[in-house]
Amino acid sequence: MTVIGNIALFLAFPSAIYSAFAYIYGTKKKHAALVESARHALLAVTGLVSVAAVALLYALVTHDFQLEYVSSYTNLDLSLSYRLAAFWAGNAGSLMFWALLLGIFAAVFVLQKRRVGKELTPYAASVIMLTEAFFLLILLFVSPPFHKLPFVPADGRGLNPMLENPGMFFHPPLLLAGYVGFTIPFAVAIAALVTRRLSDEWITMVRRWTLLTWIFLTIGNLLGAWWAYVELGWGGYWAWDPVENASFMPWLVATAFLHSIMMQRRRGILRVWNIVLIVLTFNLAILGTFLTRSGVLSSVHAFAESPILGMLFLVFIGISLFAGLGLLYLRMEDLKSEAEIESLVSRESTFLINNLLLVGAAFTIFLGTFFPVISEAVRGVKVTVGPPFFNQVNAPIFLAIILLAGICTLIGWRQASTRNLVRNFLGPFIAALGLGVALFIFGVREWYALIVFTVCGFVIATILYEWFRGTRARNRIRNENYLKAFFNLIRTNRPRYGGYIVHLAVILIAVGIAGSSIYNVEKEVDILPSESFTINDYTLTYENIDYYETESKTVVATTLSVANHGGTLGKLIPEKYFHQNYEQSVTEVAIRSTVLEDLYVILVGWDNTGMTSFKVIVNPLVKWIWLGGILLVFGALVAFWPEKEKQPAAVRKAAGRK
Amino acid sequence: MIILRRLFPLLLTLVMAMSPLTAMAATVTDVSREVICQCGCNSVLDSCTHAECHSRETMLNFIEQSMAQGKTGTEITQMLVRQYGEQVLASPPKRGFNLTAWIAPFAAIFIGAGVIYYALRKWARHGEASLPVSAPAEQEGGKYWQQLENDLQDFTERGFR
Repeated sequence: MTVIGNIALFLAFPSAIYSAFAYIYGTKKKHAALVESARHALLAVTGLVSVAAVALLYALVTHDFQLEYVSSYTNLDLSLSYRLAAFWAGNAGSLMFWALLLGIFAAVFVLQKRRVGKELTPYAASVIMLTEAFFLLILLFVSPPFHKLPFVPADGRGLNPMLENPGMFFHPPLLLAGYVGFTIPFAVAIAALVTRRLSDEWITMVRRWTLLTWIFLTIGNLLGAWWAYVELGWGGYWAWDPVENASFMPWLVATAFLHSIMMQRRRGILRVWNIVLIVLTFNLAILGTFLTRSGVLSSVHAFAESPILGMLFLVFIGISLFAGLGLLYLRMEDLKSEAEIESLVSRESTFLINNLLLVGAAFTIFLGTFFPVISEAVRGVKVTVGPPFFNQVNAPIFLAIILLAGICTLIGWRQASTRNLVRNFLGPFIAALGLGVALFIFGVREWYALIVFTVCGFVIATILYEWFRGTRARNRIRNENYLKAFFNLIRTNRPRYGGYIVHLAVILIAVGIAGSSIYNVEKEVDILPSESFTINDYTLTYENIDYYETESKTVVATTLSVANHGGTLGKLIPEKYFHQNYEQSVTEVAIRSTVLEDLYVILVGWDNTGMTSFKVIVNPLVKWIWLGGILLVFGALVAFWPEKEKQPAAVRKAAGRK
Repeated sequence: MIILRRLFPLLLTLVMAMSPLTAMAATVTDVSREVICQCGCNSVLDSCTHAECHSRETMLNFIEQSMAQGKTGTEITQMLVRQYGEQVLASPPKRGFNLTAWIAPFAAIFIGAGVIYYALRKWARHGEASLPVSAPAEQEGGKYWQQLENDLQDFTERGFR
């Protein structure tokens, strides 16, 4: 099978190159047969990469330890499901998964039936195939997944025990899908620039692709945060690790893009900006892949330090940035629009500020991530840029973004009169103020907590008010009962109301983050069995410590009983695993989770006398982050779900409707 | 340049207002959230729970003992910097070249806001210029009524947009 996999990769590379050039040449010369052959070559690439992927999976499942990749990431003890997941556990496998996903996305893209943008498809497919060829080149000559060892080891090294978590099945593939998917909108944007078809056509083509990719990246990031929280055992969910940052930056810029394309569709403005955003998003997605493989920055996610691989990715980023921005410069005249707005105070302005802040946040994270390298180059001094920097600098920016989500909901397009502003915002403003006062009365005294929760209350009030107005209008005009009117309101404008659901979810997440970072309480105790300690309202009694062996590891398990004023709440069993094939111990935290707060217990250490160290954290509102995440994905799916195609604003205007 | 020169003191004040906790640190936790564990795990000391990290215990004991001797958070972090170098700090100190990291994000956003304001004013002027002084009487019954009708139809079909 490995021979078949190798042959498939060797055939896929020239096919991708052929497809890329045949698409362009065939389209330019209006040679339909050549374009069709390019399309077939693209589909062949998808098929060949799939064959190679199946070959690698087969090797993983059948313990083919002669393959370096299989012996590096699996062993005889590893269960079938984790052997399959080992596909993306290492450098070569994850790059292969990149190539596989891009192949599948490319096939879907060219097989999609579309009414608009047919002329862009060949050029976009060509860009996709060039990207695919780059990854195939790496798989063939730099990180070959089918590289054989000169001997057959009796057993493999096995998977890093920290990766043996259900998160492994979803976090890496979804995150990678989130990176890979941005190739499609980037390719379409390049196609639009090449062909000078720079109206709303390309925006219409990429909106749902971008949204789908954004959903993948969102789920990937949220699952990563959840995984870190339950597996890494430090009590947090986001460490501002360079690779976490690398997955957050394209998310922020893609979010800005999803908002700014609305401006182009509605008002015909920001045409240059939209191209810049999608070029940046794609390159930031590649940057994540570069960071994990170059060894430039240290990260818990790093695969291998390979200067050649890092350099290749850097060159690729350089070429795609130069091509994207260079083409943009050449097409500047075509992108000029007679932009006009009626007033400085309008939804248009809030969208622009929202874009500025989202890109500003991405810039902050970029600067913070690379500042250690910059500092070393300029001063020769190594510095660390960690959570205190990112939290302090980003907090005001994110708060402003959240506030804008509220203002944006109720401010009118074109021109917002004073009367309109007062009428729309008075209610939500009073509701938010009431919430702030109530929180103060109930004992919230930290000014930043009061600001965050009041702003969140304001945004929720604006969204609920907007829904209420829409529902009431349908009730009055169409005589629908309120429930039916509410669901029809969402059904008839899914992108808009799906967006509001996403905004609500972001508020839930923001409340969770604020609550858990401002009000978390932690305690480190050294106690003997049968002793107790308290944290907040909880009393924890250390019952016993237990040692036992499994086939692959030694487990140290401690049992604590938990009680509060209401009586016994149950037992928590924090553990440490010592794997035979892995140097570092793995912390298995014990969490008692409720909607209000999490009781998080970490076993830190113990000695022969029975004295045991625990770190205990009470993390308020963490569950809101995960619930917010579920709601966010639901809202994004509502916005993604296909609706009856509408003509863009410019076309309607031309037809005399506006 | 004049704007930047005027903006700089404002940004500096803003950045300085975001003081790290060490300035008023009272607990070991507060200080250990400002420094990095030196075993190579790259975790913030407070977040490090690795049993293998021996520097964790050493550093936490040092902070605890220094506090018992009446040292402030700032003094303790300065002693740690002398021992381990600047990279022990979880965030770059707000002085010298490091200020670039703290100020550049806000400076970029302020400059961006200026560009947006300039663009909006330009577009708004275009908008004003293209608005008719008053709707011609003969068109009222035609184009404008048609637009109103279309918008109302759009509204009843799809609600507020």
